[in-house]
Amino acid sequence: MNKIKILVRKEIMDILRDRKTLIMMVVVPVLLYPLLIIGMALVFGRIAQSQEEKVYTVGYSAEYEDTVSRLRELYQEDKENDDGEGGLVFVAYPGERTSQKEAGQLSFEMFSGEDMPDILLNITEKNGAEHIVVMYNSTENDSESAMYEAEDLLELYCEELLDDRLAEEGLTEEFLHPVTFESEDQASESESFGMSIGGSIGMMLVITILLGAIYPAIDATAGEKERGTLETLLTLPVTNFQMILSKYISVSLFACATAIISLLSLGGSVLFLIFGVAGEILKDMPHISPVVLTAAVPGILLTMISTALLATAACMCFCVFARSFKEANNYVTPVLFVIMFASMAGMIPAVKFDHVTAMIPFVNVSLMIRQITAWQFVPALAGTTILVNLGYSVLVVYVLAHIYDSENVLFSDGFAGFALFRRRSEIKKGTVPAPGDLLIGITVLLLLLLYVGSAVSVRAGFWGTMASQFLIFAVPLFMVWYLKSDVRTLFSLRRPRRGTILGSILLYLGAYCLMICVGAVFMKLLPGSTENLETSFGPVLDQPFPVILLVIAAMPAVGEEILFRGLLFGSLRTRMSDRKAILISAAVFAAFHMSLVKLIPTFMLGAVFACILSGTGSLYVTSCLHFLNNAVSMAVSKYPEQAGKFLPFLVKEELEVPEQLILLAVGAGLALAGAALLGRNTGKRKRAGV
Amino acid sequence: MIEARSLCKKFERSVRKGRRSVKEEFLAVDHISLEAHPGEIVGILGPNGAGKTTLLRMLGMLMTPTEGSVRLNLPDGSQIEDLTRKKAAIGYLSGNTKLYPRFSIREYLKFLGELYGFDREKIKERTEEIFRILDMESFGDNRIEKLSTGQMQRASIARCLMADPAFYILDEPTLGLDILSADAIIHFMQEQKEKGKTVLYSTHYLEEAEFLCDRIYMLRDGKIIAAGSPAQLMEQTGTGSLREAFHVLYV
Repeated sequence: MNKIKILVRKEIMDILRDRKTLIMMVVVPVLLYPLLIIGMALVFGRIAQSQEEKVYTVGYSAEYEDTVSRLRELYQEDKENDDGEGGLVFVAYPGERTSQKEAGQLSFEMFSGEDMPDILLNITEKNGAEHIVVMYNSTENDSESAMYEAEDLLELYCEELLDDRLAEEGLTEEFLHPVTFESEDQASESESFGMSIGGSIGMMLVITILLGAIYPAIDATAGEKERGTLETLLTLPVTNFQMILSKYISVSLFACATAIISLLSLGGSVLFLIFGVAGEILKDMPHISPVVLTAAVPGILLTMISTALLATAACMCFCVFARSFKEANNYVTPVLFVIMFASMAGMIPAVKFDHVTAMIPFVNVSLMIRQITAWQFVPALAGTTILVNLGYSVLVVYVLAHIYDSENVLFSDGFAGFALFRRRSEIKKGTVPAPGDLLIGITVLLLLLLYVGSAVSVRAGFWGTMASQFLIFAVPLFMVWYLKSDVRTLFSLRRPRRGTILGSILLYLGAYCLMICVGAVFMKLLPGSTENLETSFGPVLDQPFPVILLVIAAMPAVGEEILFRGLLFGSLRTRMSDRKAILISAAVFAAFHMSLVKLIPTFMLGAVFACILSGTGSLYVTSCLHFLNNAVSMAVSKYPEQAGKFLPFLVKEELEVPEQLILLAVGAGLALAGAALLGRNTGKRKRAGV
Repeated sequence: MIEARSLCKKFERSVRKGRRSVKEEFLAVDHISLEAHPGEIVGILGPNGAGKTTLLRMLGMLMTPTEGSVRLNLPDGSQIEDLTRKKAAIGYLSGNTKLYPRFSIREYLKFLGELYGFDREKIKERTEEIFRILDMESFGDNRIEKLSTGQMQRASIARCLMADPAFYILDEPTLGLDILSADAIIHFMQEQKEKGKTVLYSTHYLEEAEFLCDRIYMLRDGKIIAAGSPAQLMEQTGTGSLREAFHVLYV
């Protein structure tokens, strides 16, 4: 611990002595927000003011002096209450200017240079009524502003004529509007304010954190290689883990400091703006619970810090591969784009902050800040966001430590350890994907599913869901094709070993009962979090049951088995013990499903399937059991009443304690019996040397 | 004593086979066993690509051998087992061990002293002593980025000296230095030898090796092709200098 402290102090001192870091960490956030927010508000205010003072010329044919003089009078009356000095000035043009065209009609071609009016009014007759065409040029700002002003005036003119006609007929305005209606926004001013700017605030904060993290991350990793100090560092009496951890802590401190400075700078700028419109905003302030406010401030701070930790880990993961600043910039730019894209979620009103979106890094922080700036604070969601970000950070730091332990990364081409980065012609037949390849493959798949898959599912309904399911097959199959892996061996595409089927079924059934118990406990702990669980399959649930079985039960069963048991577990077990490979593949399987409430049950399911694969040696068995698992869930969703008759505990919203105890006992019994059977047969085979 | 037993290091390299480029494994260091005793300067010679740097990196605990082992025995006969203790007992210097440019030499030595677990008083004493030995008082507080090449090399030696290690592993320490700076390094190695320290070093300067080394290992394609004192090597090859012996062995 003492060595890490010394190393952290050294890293901080080294980074702080680089002026560029200080500029990114302090100067950019301190100046960026006031410049962006206050500066832009001032600029737009000035533009609006100058437009009020501006004089716009309105050209018309002298033939229509009667109509225009009435318009002029109306405009004068309307402008009496207005302080602005500018406005519309009507300029008549004599008849000869219109001789080339239809009588009394003007066009812009007739004018040139300074003589050119901003807009033209052409008045004709249409269906026995006056028809006025406002001609303007949309590429000219003044012309467009004049057009809007003229349209307002013409509306007034129209209303006046209508009032006259109604008066002549002895009618009132109600005659024209037998029903009146209006929409009333129930959101308070502060809520609307928060929703409209909250989304962009989240994104801006994430970007500033990234700016604060990226430079020190590059400096501490690629910079070290470029300066030639890495080898010196390796000669010191410290482990690689101590080295990378101290680097991570130092860079994280910079990112957190940037987050706090950004928050203060942003807060100051927003307060400055709020005081500009204080009347409306502060009116609502007494309605805001002090509890919400006191919880929100540390909430935002903790969220920003957890985001800074995650952003740092993500940036460093890529920077460690680079040998120079330039290379590191190239690697980190796509990461920056992905994170920026994710943090734009808060700007999309349709994306809600719930237990699913709270699991998606960077999306969650953007949505949470939008919610908080709308003066809403849900502690459970904020807690999930913070915990999830911290959890991902730990996971990414673990990966980072492993990457940094590799001599390939430290001494040679950083990507030499990734078979995926080699030309296919250089790859040997039968290559087993390395952990780095698996990480890249699964991350790419996750991003594809999150962004492309979700978009396609929303747009194309049933076919979209099918297409997104197809991605789960496509990525692992592409990887094994590219790496020339022995698919049969890697994916365990063999007949199950003799005497292992019964044990597998019992083990799965036992685990299923246990999963229901664990799931019930989590649903109680996180009420309301189950609502979104089935929504991703929403477009398909209306389809006939065989189609549901194909798209939601069979496709994910086979796809996920190929990905998690075939590719992931199959590759990991060649580099580590089966037990470790089972735990890691199950953890990734659980994280991949992105549901806090289902996290432990999915982990259990992943572990059980990996155990079954290890015991039976066949992916066919786990695929069939996975299909059975999905099919039962779909049958319960589609036909809850019928399912309830046979298996009531599957459809009950809440299980009683005695029911849970029975399920627990039955589950444990079945799982133990299954494991014993499976273990006995596997043990026999091992003893026989098969 | 530094004792290497059957050290191997496997790497991958791209090889062109016809129009295709194929990755193949090769042994950069191929089953090398060697010994370096206290009070001895041992030279590692060989052309570029012979495996000198990889061998020294493994001996310096910067790289893990694919096969084989490295044992470090202290003069009292005890063996160091722990990796970080092994690193602390070795002063490793190469062209790639640059110093932190934004630190002054004094700050850097303080950082090292803290890592080696010295107290404040000892750090101060040791720093002053090193500054005196290497004649660095005039530029010891300058930032490393501001130093000249010779001063930088002396700062690197200061880094190695800080822990007063029992073993020195120096990879081409005189490469690219002017005569005065190179002499300072040679003098430093001789001094350490006299103090009973073990010095292992690689070089391309054959006259320097002939004059300095007690024993020499000659490497080619990761293997030792000849070993012995400079006189023995000359005798084996029937030549009058190490340069001639080198030509006989390699050409």
